[in-house]
Amino acid sequence: MIDRHAEAQELLAGYALQSLSGEDAAEADRLLAEHVPGCSECRQMLDAFQAVAGELALDAETIPPPDPLLPRIHREMEPRGRSAGRWTSGRLVAAAASVVLVVGAGGLAITQLGDRKTAQVPAADVQELVDFAIHHKTQAQTLGGNAQEISARGVQELYVYGRGVPAPTPGFVYRLWAVSAKDATHLRDFLPYPDGTVLVRLAVDPSTFDHLLVTMEPAGSEPLVPGEPAWPETG
Amino acid sequence: MRDGDREDRDLHRRLASGDRSAFDELYRRYAGSAYGLAYRVTGQQILAQDVVHDAFMALWRAPEAYDPARGPFRTFFLALVHHRAVDLVRRESRLRARSERAANLEPLVGEDPAEAIAEESYLGVRRKEVREALVGLPPEQRQVLEMAYFDGKTQVQIAEELEIPLGTVKTRTFAAMRKLRASLEDAG
Repeated sequence: MIDRHAEAQELLAGYALQSLSGEDAAEADRLLAEHVPGCSECRQMLDAFQAVAGELALDAETIPPPDPLLPRIHREMEPRGRSAGRWTSGRLVAAAASVVLVVGAGGLAITQLGDRKTAQVPAADVQELVDFAIHHKTQAQTLGGNAQEISARGVQELYVYGRGVPAPTPGFVYRLWAVSAKDATHLRDFLPYPDGTVLVRLAVDPSTFDHLLVTMEPAGSEPLVPGEPAWPETG
Repeated sequence: MRDGDREDRDLHRRLASGDRSAFDELYRRYAGSAYGLAYRVTGQQILAQDVVHDAFMALWRAPEAYDPARGPFRTFFLALVHHRAVDLVRRESRLRARSERAANLEPLVGEDPAEAIAEESYLGVRRKEVREALVGLPPEQRQVLEMAYFDGKTQVQIAEELEIPLGTVKTRTFAAMRKLRASLEDAG
């Protein structure tokens, strides 16, 4: 049998360098989800490799960026906390980016049922969210339970993101619905990761429904009509 | 902790509270390193600018992304730059074009590489340590490391290009990273 630590750490080295692809990338994702969180040796090694990857940048020559770059950035730097409701503060990207740096590049999985053993959101998912937030004028809608709907006008994609989201009652799942005046459409069931993070990407046009609703339903039940809101304070 | 790292953390703390002057100071400290890295990875000025722009905007919008408990701000930020640069290179499928140019990067226009921006002394010291650590690697290990990190190539691509087994690439990469870790920890 292959030494689990050696195998994991060899993958982590490539992972920190973002040099994995295909099956290796998928295997690294799996290890990061299932092995690394419970293995202090591998966690330390991952942190160390990530640090090395950061330091390696110093081998590149220092080159002054073009003069117009800083003024360009200044023009786009919005004041903090300017607009309630519209997401510009970056708390979302903050959390997301920190996960990216911890985990590196990963696969394409999303928060899914059956992933309760998965300790961390796959970094590629988080990177997608970061990119979405950077490249679109996003707005946030509170869903309750520390979760938010992140969307952008005219973009047929949205995210449900949250940290510190409570786990549902054992045997139950959270169920997402797109609610309009005439009906409610089941979108997806999900569970928070063990650390309370939720990250669900939905390929839906936010203009086609009025609002998202999260309910708590028995796992495996048929999603016919929405039950009671999972988080009644805002649901 | 080095003085420079401590100063960075203070600057970051101020930036997180909305202090634009702290942002500008971090830009002054790291824009050159970030641009140099992004340029080396992407091989194109316009892409490098986008990478640096996005990284600094992400920093401004999301300062909480940096957790001081996880290490120096420098490694956090430059890792972010590297991540974005590699992501951009791969996304735009520019690897082949870059390979054809080999080491002949697009010449810099309007910039004089010799006109290096003033660099904090602590950063210069660390840069020297990193370079010494890299030089200390066996050539075959350094080669795969640089192809992965600075060329943005996957291990599979490296194996194909060097005509060696994928397992060898993995082994060399792992050995190189462990040696670098030890060298850099010893150095500081």
